[in-house]
Amino acid sequence: MDSLGHLIGGFGVALQPLNLLLVLGGVLVGTFIGMLPGIGPINAIAILIPVTYTTGIPPESALILLVGIYYGSQYGNSISTILLNVPGTASAVVTALDGHAMTKQGRGGPALAMSAVASFVGGTVSIFGLVLFAPVLAGWAIRFGPAEYFALMVFAFSALSSFSGDSLLRGLASTAIGLWLATVGLDPHSAIPRYTFGQIELLDGMDFVVVTIGLFAVSEVLLLLEETGRGREAAASYGRVMLSAKELTGSAWTMVRGSVLGFLVGVLPGAGGTIASFLAYSTEERIAGESGRFGQGDIRGVAAPESANNAAANGALIPLLTLGVPGSGTTAVLLGALLGLGITPGPLLIEERPDLFWGLAASMYLGNVFLLVLNLPLVGVFVRALTLPRWFLIPGVAALAFVAVYAVNGSSFDLGLMTAFGVLGWSMRKLDFPLAPVVLGLVLGPLMEKNLRRAMALSGGDAGVLFDSPIAITLWGLAVASLLAPVAIRTWTKSVTTDVESALPRGTPDEL
Amino acid sequence: MRLSARMPGIVLTAAGIACAGEASSFDVAFLTDPVGPKALPLLVAAIFVVVGLHEAVKPNASSGWPNRAATARAGAATTAFLLYALLLPWFGFFSSTTLVVTALSRLFGAPLKHSAPAAAGLAGALWLLFVLGLGLPLPVGELWIL
Repeated sequence: MDSLGHLIGGFGVALQPLNLLLVLGGVLVGTFIGMLPGIGPINAIAILIPVTYTTGIPPESALILLVGIYYGSQYGNSISTILLNVPGTASAVVTALDGHAMTKQGRGGPALAMSAVASFVGGTVSIFGLVLFAPVLAGWAIRFGPAEYFALMVFAFSALSSFSGDSLLRGLASTAIGLWLATVGLDPHSAIPRYTFGQIELLDGMDFVVVTIGLFAVSEVLLLLEETGRGREAAASYGRVMLSAKELTGSAWTMVRGSVLGFLVGVLPGAGGTIASFLAYSTEERIAGESGRFGQGDIRGVAAPESANNAAANGALIPLLTLGVPGSGTTAVLLGALLGLGITPGPLLIEERPDLFWGLAASMYLGNVFLLVLNLPLVGVFVRALTLPRWFLIPGVAALAFVAVYAVNGSSFDLGLMTAFGVLGWSMRKLDFPLAPVVLGLVLGPLMEKNLRRAMALSGGDAGVLFDSPIAITLWGLAVASLLAPVAIRTWTKSVTTDVESALPRGTPDEL
Repeated sequence: MRLSARMPGIVLTAAGIACAGEASSFDVAFLTDPVGPKALPLLVAAIFVVVGLHEAVKPNASSGWPNRAATARAGAATTAFLLYALLLPWFGFFSSTTLVVTALSRLFGAPLKHSAPAAAGLAGALWLLFVLGLGLPLPVGELWIL
């Protein structure tokens, strides 16, 4: 088998001492970040991007680190959900239903253990899917021309606009804000400045690191200032972090189904871990029927969403790596990081940079093993970190963000820009405008405009070329369908959504 | 419905009109491609106007601004961040970061005797990590060099 040979070569890359260290560091930072409510993987990755550029580590090592944070955060997000009923990220909100119920019954330990095992199953199944399907999709996408790419990007934008908030129109407006930011600077085709307001600093365009840190990290700091209670979080006692054989075998099929479902949902743009976990939970609740005690501490209620959200996170890497088109805010930041490292992901990536693709896949297998082995014994340490006082933790994260933003261009103008985006992000959250589409629009906007202009130049200005091939027509169809899909998903998961809304005291965090 | 609830929609509509107005000046001497530099900005402007008008006519009922004290703290933090951007080249990384982190942890309710030493320790640790450890140049401060 061809893939197997490549994967062995990939382990050669992943097992190099530097890469091994970065995988370990990445998944530990990821677990920590995923666990703490309010920081989130998108901020951690954005903060680390300028740092990896300055250290000059090779692109595959940088990617191994950044992706390690990405999937590591999917392990950590359930810890605070189960113990405190405060989800670390949006994709862990469903876990709160049964996970926190188990903690209240004194079974927090088994819930934590199940979430680690389910995360491992979801992670491992989906990496298998990644190495199996990514080369197939890449071989198929090689026939994409500018018109097909344009349609694909429209699909990504419409899907994220429609899935990321409760209003399609506000989601579209967020995408438009991102596209507008993408036009700032010199137009690469005609070399005229657009929206630079005479500022020399803006001729190069908006840097996505500055925008992302401003929109997400700074606005989060401003948001957290609403609650300044001095009290520390008190984590409930959770007993031994162990699973019985019965609990494990009873949840085996739940984890397999959750992993496959999560992977498929993750590959689609826009949907992601949150929707995958809701779908997996509702599906398992229906399958269990009368025998289930879902919502009252059924361990399958932890296994289903935790396997699904990890699988979805890894599935989302497929369109990023093989098409160069991400479908979420966090994968858009990863695309920006790759472009900055001189790597253009697309159908040729696997062939041209096998070390990068297969090295990353191999490192993800290692990372998932590290996470499983480390998570169970280290839960006590993580829980103690959860009780760090907020007045120390949040200003510390802010200072790290300042260092990262300054490092982008070595200019304090960017710190002012970052603050402005912080105020914008805070206002958008207050007004229920989703933030992830802004980042996707900013990173993908230049590529979309380039492909549109190239397609139209080739056809001599005939817009019919955009709908000329079966692939393009299919993609336009998917774009339209994605606008209607949230209604269908909401109907299927309705009971879970209302349960989650009534169970969480502080509301649900934003989708990234 | 009060006017303040309609403000976000009105602001978005105005931004769309301003965006389109500015885009109309993106003229190139000879057209290099049939689409040109105006198309995407005009599409963006159209979305802003459509969503803005919708939000102005039917404002989002579930959104709301926080109470006055919380808004004041957010405003104070914003001011501190802007001052940080202004002072950083002059006072350097260590002093400016100590000041802004102290201010921020005070806003989170920490007493000065805890926040100031913690902030100085953090700024020092970041300097060690990034400047000495990773070789990332952070400003020393023009005032101290003169």
